[in-house]
Amino acid sequence: MDDDQSAEELITESLEAVIGRNPYEQKRVNQWVSSVVEQCLGQLSKLSKPFKYIVTCIIMQKNGAGLQSASSCFWDNTTDGSCTVRWENKHLYCIVSVFGLAI
Amino acid sequence: MDLKKVAFSPDDASNVVKECIEGIVGGVDYSQNKVNQWTASIVEHTLTQLVKQGKPFKYIVNCAVMQKSGAGLHTANSCYWDTTTDGSCTVRWENRTMYCVVSVFAVAIAL
Repeated sequence: MDDDQSAEELITESLEAVIGRNPYEQKRVNQWVSSVVEQCLGQLSKLSKPFKYIVTCIIMQKNGAGLQSASSCFWDNTTDGSCTVRWENKHLYCIVSVFGLAI
Repeated sequence: MDLKKVAFSPDDASNVVKECIEGIVGGVDYSQNKVNQWTASIVEHTLTQLVKQGKPFKYIVNCAVMQKSGAGLHTANSCYWDTTTDGSCTVRWENRTMYCVVSVFAVAIAL
């Protein structure tokens, strides 16, 4: 769907802009997570569509640990949807999910 | 018809989540083979229990399980909704070998 495609691009752009090639830094990662979700949400609300949005972001240092994430949703299948982007650079993994629920 | 708007109760949801997590990964160690089933079970069971409450909400349940190995993990979420009726709750749980973070988001349905 067109909407999912542009949501994906929107998320990837936010990640590139906020984190880019930076290594995992414990002191900064807090700001990064907040910036990523705020930027995504800002861009989404600019689209002025009749949706409520939820954006979540997980950043994990590359250290050999395993990470598994799952989501389950109870909503209206005809109007609501989600988009998840898995992104990484040399030092960290990032998972961003956007959920859009029709008003 | 009752038109009063019901607000989301994070405490109720929190208890539901904790019981589900304990029930599924309570006393076990992190296992790469099983973690897939665990996260799926946790989100499904939590969702089922929440829906059973019969409240006028759409729900999103998110679960992340991470092996304890010294790596850093940060999560954040931001929501654009009606703050008078919608809400979320996040539960952080751990045992000896893994961390589990479950978030529940509830969005009111206009009746």
